[in-house]
Amino acid sequence: MASVTLDKINKIFGSTHIIKDVDLDIGDGEFVVFVGPSGCGKSTLLRLIAGLESISDGTLSIGETVVNELPPRERGVGMVFQSYALYPHMTVYENMAFGLKLAKASKETVDDRVMATARILQLEELLDRKPKALSGGQRQRVAMGRAMAREPRILLFDEPLSNLDASLRVQMRNEIARLHNRLGSTMIYVTHDQVEAMTLADKIVVLNGGRIEQVGSPHELYQRPATKFVAGFIGSPTMNFMPASLAGQAEAGCRVQVEGIGELSLPQAAGEHAAGAALTLGVRPEHLRLEAASSDNAFEIVNVEYLGNEVYVYLEPMAGETLLIHRSEAPSRWQEGQRVALVPDPQHVHLFDADNRALKASRARAVA
Amino acid sequence: MAMVQPRTIRARRLAAHLALLGFVSLIVFPLLLVISISFREGNFASGSLIPERFSLEHWALAFGIPWERADGSVVQPPFPVLLWLWNSVKVALVSSLLILALATTSAYAFARMRFRGKAPILKGMLIFQMFPAVLSLVALYALFDRLGQLVPWLGINTHGALIVASLGAVALHIWTIKGYFESIDGSLEEAAMVDGASTWQAFRYILLPLSVPILMVVFILAFVMSIMEYPMASVLLVDEHKLTLAVGAQQYLADHNQRWGNFAAAAVLSGLPITVAFLVCQRWIIGGLTAGGVKG
Repeated sequence: MASVTLDKINKIFGSTHIIKDVDLDIGDGEFVVFVGPSGCGKSTLLRLIAGLESISDGTLSIGETVVNELPPRERGVGMVFQSYALYPHMTVYENMAFGLKLAKASKETVDDRVMATARILQLEELLDRKPKALSGGQRQRVAMGRAMAREPRILLFDEPLSNLDASLRVQMRNEIARLHNRLGSTMIYVTHDQVEAMTLADKIVVLNGGRIEQVGSPHELYQRPATKFVAGFIGSPTMNFMPASLAGQAEAGCRVQVEGIGELSLPQAAGEHAAGAALTLGVRPEHLRLEAASSDNAFEIVNVEYLGNEVYVYLEPMAGETLLIHRSEAPSRWQEGQRVALVPDPQHVHLFDADNRALKASRARAVA
Repeated sequence: MAMVQPRTIRARRLAAHLALLGFVSLIVFPLLLVISISFREGNFASGSLIPERFSLEHWALAFGIPWERADGSVVQPPFPVLLWLWNSVKVALVSSLLILALATTSAYAFARMRFRGKAPILKGMLIFQMFPAVLSLVALYALFDRLGQLVPWLGINTHGALIVASLGAVALHIWTIKGYFESIDGSLEEAAMVDGASTWQAFRYILLPLSVPILMVVFILAFVMSIMEYPMASVLLVDEHKLTLAVGAQQYLADHNQRWGNFAAAAVLSGLPITVAFLVCQRWIIGGLTAGGVKG
């Protein structure tokens, strides 16, 4: 077990700058998830930590040691690959024993460790099988077992569940979470699936274009996204964005004019933004209220999705094409074709400036 | 195939089978003829496929056993055929093992490592391979003649020279093995390296065991090529007791005394090591070794 510190890490492949000035502290025993769209550099960042790619610039430390120049085998990491990467010519036992044998562990130690790991992951029955005789979920568990058997200081997961079907993914996600509770080791997990990120992480790192957008607990990221990107990435269905403009300062916050909705009084401080500044209003689907239309500035319901316990209502403004989503508990009285007005809950509304940075709540309001 | 087929298909299938049989016999016929000649009395190239007068004379001579003819005269074996066979096997075995070792390690570099000039070198190797080896015979002779003055066991008339010269064929095999390596997911070796393996260990314990089928194919190809090789061996080897079977057997075909029967026996004999090598290797030439390792 160990902490990991990334200090101004950069990675350049030829002429492409993939990782840009990444600073990050990962505490001992923490479960950290790197999340972001494909091509955001999250897997590259993991491979840099594993030592499978060289660091172009910056300092990477594991525990107290700077590991920039150390090969993977000297970093004390275990890794679960997206493709599993099981050794096809070896049995499950041999797969898990491989690293221990390379480390010249005694036969008893190898046996003890492999059996203990197999017990944790319920692989005892499968030890004599070759990978091709295993199902997807079993292969996944063997890949985890192989990474764990050497008792590495840090466990790395590179999109480990992306090849499993939906129900198995939920089950394995649960197992990984329990594994972390049980082992207490530092884990770094890469995924493009924000649900995995939300459910597993102590700390989520949202990456976009090789930069860190925001680091925080799932709760922080959901409640207080620092940028429009994070706001749109975390949460499902995604947050609604509407163009707005700053109408003026208010006693504890500001007033904004939103197309199709009207003027809203919000707790965010306008800061240095002048009246008339272009902003983006963000509201999660569950923080919208629908009311029967009273004015011309109405929205039309274009589709209603019934999901059993909840209902998604898709709305289109009469002027414009931005599709908005409203979520409520089933049953819903709304029907396709109806015209409605939108009422956002001011306590749960987000404002983003032209640089896509979130406006913070004014101090007076935050204290209250 | 359980699909219902129209009647005309049967006629067409029959025609296809006949055509294929004809093709196969076209290929097999020369081999049968050589075997027939080797069992025929006298040294004639022409004659019927089934020997009219059966004789083991050529085979006895090939195995170095003096042969007593019906008229009481004894024929001494004119050439050390078994020694030639041994020379052939020795040279072929050593050179194909060396080719395998060189080709495998080079192919690894070309398949897995990033370095400057990789593409031009790969293409260059293939282009050089396109020139017939015969064209370089003069140069080879001159090179090994000079080399022999410095390193006696690499001079003209040594098997060492022939082995070193035959390593030139390595480029083709590098391409073959490289293609196979590239079909194996690199994450397997990465996993091994995270597991604590050095680059060499990942190569030795992961990539090599998974590549056994292609290594065997390359070994057999190199072995066959070496056994059948004629131009280089005929230039580099001089003494009768140094010759390989492919070169030596030609001695039966002197200008005024063409002993086709003896030649045929030697020719059939030269197929023996190839057959043995193939039988030994084929049990490793199996597919599906990499199944189940990686998803997709």
